[in-house]
Amino acid sequence: MNHIKRIIKKILGKKILFYYNQIKRVSINVYSHENKVISIFKSIKNIRVYNSKNKIVSLSKLFENIKINKITNKNDNFYYDIDFFKMMNTPNSVIGNLCLDYSKILNNSLEDVKKHLNNKNIEFYNTEFETINIIEKYIDKIVKLNSKNITVCTNLSNIKNNKASSFQEALQRILFFNMLLWQTNHRLNGLGRLDKILIEYYNNDIESGVLTEEMVKNLLKEFLLLLHKDYKFKSNSLLGDTGQIIELGGIDKTGKYLCNDLTYMFIELMEELKLPDPKVLVRVSKNMPRKLMEKSLECIQTGIGCPLFANDDVIIDKLINFGYDKEDAYNYGTSACWEPYIIGKSSAQNNIKSLNFMFPLNELLEKENLNKITNFEILLKTYNNYLERYVNNLISDLKKITFEQDPFLSLFIDDCIKNGKDISLGGAKYNDFGLTGVALSNVVNSLVNIKDFVFDKNKMTLIEFNEIRKNDFEKNEAFLKKLKNNGPKYGEDDDFIINLSNNIINFASSIFENKKNILGGKYKFGLSSPNYITDSKTSPASFDGRKNGEPFNVHISTDVSNGYTGLINFAGKLDYNANRFNGNVVDFFVTPNFINDNFDKFVDFLMASIKVGFFEMQMNVVSSAKLIEARKNPEKFPNLVVRVWGFSAYFNDLPDDYKDYLIERALKNESHS
Amino acid sequence: MKAIVSNIQRFCLHDGPGIRTTVFFKGCNLRCPWCSNPENIDFNIQEYEEDGELLHYGYEISLEELEKEILKDKLYYEENGGVTFSGGDGLIQFKKIEPLLKNLKKDNINICVETSLVVSEELVDIAIKYVDTFLVDLKILNQNDANKINTDVSLYKQNVKKLFDNHCNVIFRIPLVPEYTYTDSNIEEILKFLQEYKPKLVQVFKLHRLGEKKYKTLNKKMPEFKNITDEEINSFMNKIKELKINVEYCKI
Repeated sequence: MNHIKRIIKKILGKKILFYYNQIKRVSINVYSHENKVISIFKSIKNIRVYNSKNKIVSLSKLFENIKINKITNKNDNFYYDIDFFKMMNTPNSVIGNLCLDYSKILNNSLEDVKKHLNNKNIEFYNTEFETINIIEKYIDKIVKLNSKNITVCTNLSNIKNNKASSFQEALQRILFFNMLLWQTNHRLNGLGRLDKILIEYYNNDIESGVLTEEMVKNLLKEFLLLLHKDYKFKSNSLLGDTGQIIELGGIDKTGKYLCNDLTYMFIELMEELKLPDPKVLVRVSKNMPRKLMEKSLECIQTGIGCPLFANDDVIIDKLINFGYDKEDAYNYGTSACWEPYIIGKSSAQNNIKSLNFMFPLNELLEKENLNKITNFEILLKTYNNYLERYVNNLISDLKKITFEQDPFLSLFIDDCIKNGKDISLGGAKYNDFGLTGVALSNVVNSLVNIKDFVFDKNKMTLIEFNEIRKNDFEKNEAFLKKLKNNGPKYGEDDDFIINLSNNIINFASSIFENKKNILGGKYKFGLSSPNYITDSKTSPASFDGRKNGEPFNVHISTDVSNGYTGLINFAGKLDYNANRFNGNVVDFFVTPNFINDNFDKFVDFLMASIKVGFFEMQMNVVSSAKLIEARKNPEKFPNLVVRVWGFSAYFNDLPDDYKDYLIERALKNESHS
Repeated sequence: MKAIVSNIQRFCLHDGPGIRTTVFFKGCNLRCPWCSNPENIDFNIQEYEEDGELLHYGYEISLEELEKEILKDKLYYEENGGVTFSGGDGLIQFKKIEPLLKNLKKDNINICVETSLVVSEELVDIAIKYVDTFLVDLKILNQNDANKINTDVSLYKQNVKKLFDNHCNVIFRIPLVPEYTYTDSNIEEILKFLQEYKPKLVQVFKLHRLGEKKYKTLNKKMPEFKNITDEEINSFMNKIKELKINVEYCKI
């Protein structure tokens, strides 16, 4: 796209470059993919960017100019319309990738929020007060234009003065706030624990006879389809990565598992609609009903890659130990993919940077005198030194971030109002930064190979081995194969591998510990990351048999044929304590036939896996044959959905390298069965 | 004490109830030409070549290590699942592994064995003490025809009787191979035999050729067999159902 950037720059000057990404998104959404240049120019003339040093001025200009549409279909139950041609100038990082506390939003009107504003910080107070006024004016404008649709108008007007009182109204209010988030440049907007939040409204309306189950289902379907409609505009780096995640189920403080009719209904709808987004996460526990696990597996069986499972029995303790209040920990949701997030109370930027375990090893090999590394202990110690330096550099990079002032989020994320402080300055109750770890698997397998060939079997010196690696294993195909197959490997329940992995992450953990980020929060990391392809492109070949630029291994996965149980056992023995809980997903492939033929036993396996103690789990249920066919003839598979890093996407929407990697992993999985 | 195994496969869903770990022992007394694990017929470790590399079928493993491997998936076994000893013949090394069997029972691990039952009475006596479910081959019951697969029908029948006399849990497994097990006279004998014992479950399956590559590495050729149709399988299964015996078809 660089040439397009240059053309745009020539015509419109430097300033427009800043909006390049937004423009790209808009054009892809509105116009066809085929001719990006033309579509980008078509959109440029419609785009308005509101740019003022005073946030309130930009906000009010933005909301004055948003195009409000009339609800054309009188059967529509909701107003949901984002004008993505209008945007604010946000030169700093916009806090996003989070989820508002919708139960609080449903229980409080905007006027209620006003009542909580205090005079602690008069400037903050005024800004927040004005922000509410802007939203209220915006509501009035929508209502005025749609006065014929009485239900929608009442539901919208109530946002100003009343708490939500019906199921449909609750859905409208969630949609409205979600719409505001997107409209004000926030990205990756989570939806929260909707089964828990909505059940009271559902029960009331069913009991009083206002709604039937069928009507509820239709409302939810409309709700999900509205959220999905602009997915191209909402997507981040890859189409489908929208962060629109719904968390279902979960245990309460007494260990009791909470789920209800809506839990099942959401999963059924996912299964029926087969959309990549919004996506569903089920909080699992050994106390969950088997029936819910069966329902979840039925949904996964369709191949859409969701729900993702998050294991309450493991995760909640880790959150409490890290320092989150018990109440908050039990009510956790996640950021866009899987990073546990304290709903409505945290500014946590949980995917703020990649923690790439391979980079320090690369640096070691470039800079260190390899003659001095004479045994495995020295190798590990040296690696740790480089890891420490690397992590410290990451931390100092993260000190340079400035966040965009955000009066809108500050209204709804605790404790900004109480503290009289904007979220961008650390007003939230929790302010921890999360990093996403990648390539630990490749590092562990590399270290094992060095240990085996250099130190244990004395087949070659480290320098010789390193030369072969630097030459990208050229003319060493047989050796490369050996390296790839040499075990034990990351992802196996082998004591040596488990200890080595835990040693490395514990050490990384200790470097982050006690360091404060610019908002006063702490650092945390996990062992899953979106960066296994992007980060690998510039990374040279590695001792695990990975060639120059080839992808890193995905999350917690393995290509060893010890069945799925070995992988889960491994995941269950990784140490997620301290600050190591920022998403740890076991990721594997299953063929559709395997689940079809063994459904009950597969449910047994999943229920047992919860007890073994995986942190999170997701799977792709698809055959390599289907993927290969879809790669060749995309037009035949317009609805094929697959799981990518932490989201589901249309296979056809993915870049080729992602498609190829999925095919490669599917083939590897099938070669074992 | 060491056992010779060729493979330990975890997360097996077809070798008995629940989720299981299957241990493949080397050694079998029978010579069925459709065998899907030809590398497990010989009792000893065998060398073979693949892509110019010297490899082995089978390795020695201590009972302690074998136990550790089996217990790795203990949490998945729950009430039903456990370990399945297969092969070759799953019973063939039972004398050697008796201490292991004792430990597994102490640990409440469910034990299955896949066996031809063409083994010495001594091995059957050991098995009766420890095994929860016997997956017993039911192949050819007429000694003349049975010579083709090197089996001893009277020893087989004597061992089956022993299992039933001891109220063991037995599932019969019938491979449907035209000209061998699937002949008019043998079907008749099988049905008679089943009627006599009334097992809780019979499983039937078609032979598959997934082992063909292994035949090649052993410098053997897997023979061709006539195909068996779905109708033939169904009609055979119906005859078993008529005896009021549960029967299921196993997909490989």
